[in-house]
Amino acid sequence: MFPLAVLVPLAPALAFIVIGLGGERLKRLESGGWIAVAAAFVALAVSLLVAWAELATPGHFSDSSYTWLSIRTTAAPFPSGLSLVMGVLVDPISALMLIVVNVVGAMVMLYSIGYMHHDKGLPRYYAELSLFLTAMNGLVLSDNLLEFFLFWELVGVCSYFLIGFYYERPSAASAAKEAFLVTRVGDVLFLLGIFIYFATFATSGGGAGWAASGFKFASGSVPFLPPHASTPLLTVAGLMMLAGAAGKSAQFPLDVWLPDAMEGPTTVSALIHAATMVAAGVYLLVVVSVFIGFTPDDQLAIVAVGGFTTFWAATMAVVQTDIKRVVAFSTVSQLGYMVLAVGAGFSMVGLYHLFTHAFFKALLFLAAGSVIHAVGTQDLLKMGGLKKQMPVTRWAFIIGGLSLAGFPLFSGFFSKDDILGSVVTAAQSHPMYWPFVALAFAGTFLTGYYIFRAYFLAFEGDQPRDSSLPHAHEGPWVMQLPLIVLSGLALLAGYLIFSPAFDSLFIQIPGTALHLPPTYGTFDLELSALSVALGLSGIGVAYALWGNGRVFTWAADSPVQPLRTLLLQRYYVKHGVDWLGRRVIYTGARAADFVERFIIDGTIHGFERSFAALSDRMRRVQTGVVSDYAAYVVAGVVGLLVLLMYLAPWIVAALGGS
Amino acid sequence: MILDEVAFASLAAIAVVTALAALLVRELVHTILWIAVFFVTLSGIYFLLAAPFLGVLQLGVYAGAVTILLLFGVMVTRKRIFSREAATGIGPAALVLASVLGILVVVSASGVPTQEVPIRGYDVTVLSTTLFNDDGAWLLLLGLTMLGALAGAIYLVREGRE
Amino acid sequence: MTSLPPVDFLALSGALLAIGIFGILTRRNFILLLISVEIAINAAILNFVVFGAYAGTPAGVSGQAAAIVLIGLAATEVAVGLAIVLALNRARGSINVAEATQLKL
Repeated sequence: MFPLAVLVPLAPALAFIVIGLGGERLKRLESGGWIAVAAAFVALAVSLLVAWAELATPGHFSDSSYTWLSIRTTAAPFPSGLSLVMGVLVDPISALMLIVVNVVGAMVMLYSIGYMHHDKGLPRYYAELSLFLTAMNGLVLSDNLLEFFLFWELVGVCSYFLIGFYYERPSAASAAKEAFLVTRVGDVLFLLGIFIYFATFATSGGGAGWAASGFKFASGSVPFLPPHASTPLLTVAGLMMLAGAAGKSAQFPLDVWLPDAMEGPTTVSALIHAATMVAAGVYLLVVVSVFIGFTPDDQLAIVAVGGFTTFWAATMAVVQTDIKRVVAFSTVSQLGYMVLAVGAGFSMVGLYHLFTHAFFKALLFLAAGSVIHAVGTQDLLKMGGLKKQMPVTRWAFIIGGLSLAGFPLFSGFFSKDDILGSVVTAAQSHPMYWPFVALAFAGTFLTGYYIFRAYFLAFEGDQPRDSSLPHAHEGPWVMQLPLIVLSGLALLAGYLIFSPAFDSLFIQIPGTALHLPPTYGTFDLELSALSVALGLSGIGVAYALWGNGRVFTWAADSPVQPLRTLLLQRYYVKHGVDWLGRRVIYTGARAADFVERFIIDGTIHGFERSFAALSDRMRRVQTGVVSDYAAYVVAGVVGLLVLLMYLAPWIVAALGGS
Repeated sequence: MILDEVAFASLAAIAVVTALAALLVRELVHTILWIAVFFVTLSGIYFLLAAPFLGVLQLGVYAGAVTILLLFGVMVTRKRIFSREAATGIGPAALVLASVLGILVVVSASGVPTQEVPIRGYDVTVLSTTLFNDDGAWLLLLGLTMLGALAGAIYLVREGRE
Repeated sequence: MTSLPPVDFLALSGALLAIGIFGILTRRNFILLLISVEIAINAAILNFVVFGAYAGTPAGVSGQAAAIVLIGLAATEVAVGLAIVLALNRARGSINVAEATQLKL
C-alpha cells in the first residue's frame, strides 16, 4: 500500500528533476523557481494532512516498508536471516518534524523568488533546494537507521552545494568544503554507532523483529535492550550518535562550520542552517532516545555538550558585526538547548523547542535577508534607522527576537522555559548536570543581549551610519508574505503546548516498549521568572549600549580588548585545528609517503629490476649458433638418462611405490 | 676365438682413431680420406657380426656414395676451406658432455638381456623376406623420404636463388 | 661366428657416439658437422646390428633390416645437408656455422 506520506519527499524530487534538466528554458517561471515553490507547497499540504491524521489519533503510528535486500541464512550472527528495508514511518515525532520542515521550506521557497531574483545560476539554486527538501523529508520519514543515514548524507551534500552556491568566491567554496568535512567527522562516527547497534540488536535472540530488520527503529513487541547487550558498548554507540548529531547540529567541537556557512545565500541559511538540517542532529538524538535509549553515561555527555555549546556560542555572538553571523551563532546556541534537554531525558521537550525555534529562527534569517536585500550590506555597523523604511521587517525581527529571548507569551518562552524547568528537575537527581544548567541560564541572558544588540544596530536610530547605503524599502510581496506567516507562527506555535495534539507525543504506544520519555517538567513559576528576568535584563543592557543609534565601543587599551579578540577569533579553535593538521597530520602523511615510495614501491621496483636483469641474462642463451642449441639438447638428454637410470628408482622408493 | 677378439680389437681401435682423426685434422680433404677409412672399418665390424649383406651395403653406400658426396661438397665450397675453422668455445665441456652421454648409453644398453649364444649368420633370403614383408612399410617410407629429399635438394640448389 | 660379449660392441658404439656428438658440438665447418652426424648415426646403426645379432633367430633379423633402412635414411640426410651447404655457401660465401645466427632473439 502506497503511503500518502511518500508524496512529501516525492514532490520536491520531481521539481529537482524538472528544474535540473530544463531550468534554463523556464525564464518566465523564474527559471524554475515557481515549480519549486509549487512542489514545496504540495509537500506542505500533504504533510499537514498526514500530520493532522497522525496527531489526531493518539498512540497511533504507521510503518510501511519495502525490503530491498534480504539474505536467508541461519548462520550467526543472523540466526533469522538479514534483511534491509526502506520504509516510511509516520509517528507523532516525525509528524511534528514534517510540519516544521515543510512550513519553513515552503516559506523559504516563496521568499527566494524575490530574494534571489537578481542572481545568476537560478536553476541550480532551485534544483538544489528542492533536492534538499526531498532529502530532509526523507530523513524525517525514515524508519530505520540505515535509510536515515542515507538521507543524512544527502542532506549534507545539498548543504555543500548550497553553501558553495557562489562558488566563484573562494571563501564560499572553502566554507562549503569546511562544512562538509567537519560534518564528515561526525558522520563517520555516526556510521560506527550504527554498526554497533546493528551488531548488538541484530544478533539478539529477543525476537525475530530485530534480527530480521536490523536497523529498524521499532518493530512491534520487542524488548528494546536484549538481555545480553553490554552497556559499555551501548555507551560507545550512544557517544557515536552524539558525535554525528554534534557534527550536523554544530555542537562543540564540531561547530566551526556553521558561522562560515553564512557564505551561502541567506535563504539557504534560513532553511538549512536554522530550521532543518541542523535540526536533523537533534532529531537523531530524539529518535535514538525514544527507540533505543541512552545509557546514563551517554546522557551526561550529551548534557555536557549541549549545555557547554549553549554558552560557548552565545559568548561569540555578542561581538559579531555581521548580522547573519549573529543569527548563526544564535542557532548553535539554541541547538545546544535542545541537545541539553534530550540529554537530560526530556527529548520531547527538546523536540518542542526545535519546533518553535525553527519558526522564529527562520523568521530572523529571512528578516535579516530582507535587510540585506534592501541595503546591500551585512555589516551591522553600517546600518541604522531602518525602522522607518522597513516596518514589516522591523516587526518581524522584533517578534523573532522576543521569541528567541524567551519573552512571555511568545513561542520561544514556552519551549525554552520547558527546557530550563526540565533540566533543573533532572539535575536534582543528577547533580553532575548543575554546571551545565548554570551555563544554560547564563546563555539566556546573553541571548537577549546579542539579538537585541543586532536589532538596535540595524533598525534604531535616525539614519544609517554609513551614508553611502542605498535608500531601503521593503521587498516584494513574495518576501513579505513569508515574514508575516512566520511571525504569526513565532507568536502562536508556542500554544501547541496546550493542544491535545501535543499530548500525543507522550503517550505510551501500547504493545511496544518504546522508550518514551516522561512528560515535561512541572511548570515552576520561580524558574520561569528567573529566565524571563535574565532575558529582559539582556535586552535592557543591549538598549543601554546600543539603543537609539548609539554605538558602544571599548577603549583601545581597555583590559576587555584581549577578551574581545578571543571571542572574535572564536577562541582560536580553527587555528588549533590548523596547527594540528600542519604539524601532526602532515608529518604523518610525509612519513607514510616515504614508506610508500621507497619501501613499498622500492620493493616492487626492485623486483622489476631483478626480473629484467634476469631476463636479459637469459636472453644470451639464444646465440643463434646451432651447435650451441645442439649442446643444450645433448645436455638435456644426458639429464633425462641420469634421471631415468639412477634417480627414478630412488624417487619411486621414496614415494613408496615399487 | 682369438681371431675374433684380435679382429674386433683392431677394427675397433682403427674405427675410433679414424673418427677422431677425421674431426681433428686441418685439411678438409684429409678429413674425407679418414672418414672413408672409418666407413670401411665399420663394414668390417658388420662382417664380424655375421651381417655380410649389411657390410657390403655399408661399403657401397657409405664408403662409396656418401664419401663421394662429401668430397663433392668439399670441392664446390672450396673458397676458404683449407684452414680448419676454429672450434666453438665449449670444447672441454662438449667433451665431458659427450663422454657422459656415451657412457650412459652403454651402461643402459648393457642391461638389455641377450642370448648367450654364439652369433650365427642369416640367409640373405631371410633378410629380404623380413625386409619386404614385415618391415615393408619402413621401406616404403624410406622411398618417399628419398623422393622428398631429392625434390628438396634440387630446390635448395637451384639457380636464381639469392 | 663370434663369442664376444655384446658389451664390447656396445662400448665401441658408445665411443663412436661420443665422438660424433663431440664433433657436432664443437666443429664450425658445416661439412665437418655433417661428417660428425654421420659418425653418430653409424654408431646408432651399429647398435641395431649388435642387438640384432645377439637376439638370435628369428627376431634378430629385424635388426639388420632396420639397419638397412637407416643406412638409406642417413645417406638421404647427407644429400640434403650438402644441398643446404651449397645454398648457404652461395648466400654467405662461407660455411662457418657460427655465422648463420639468424635464429636468435
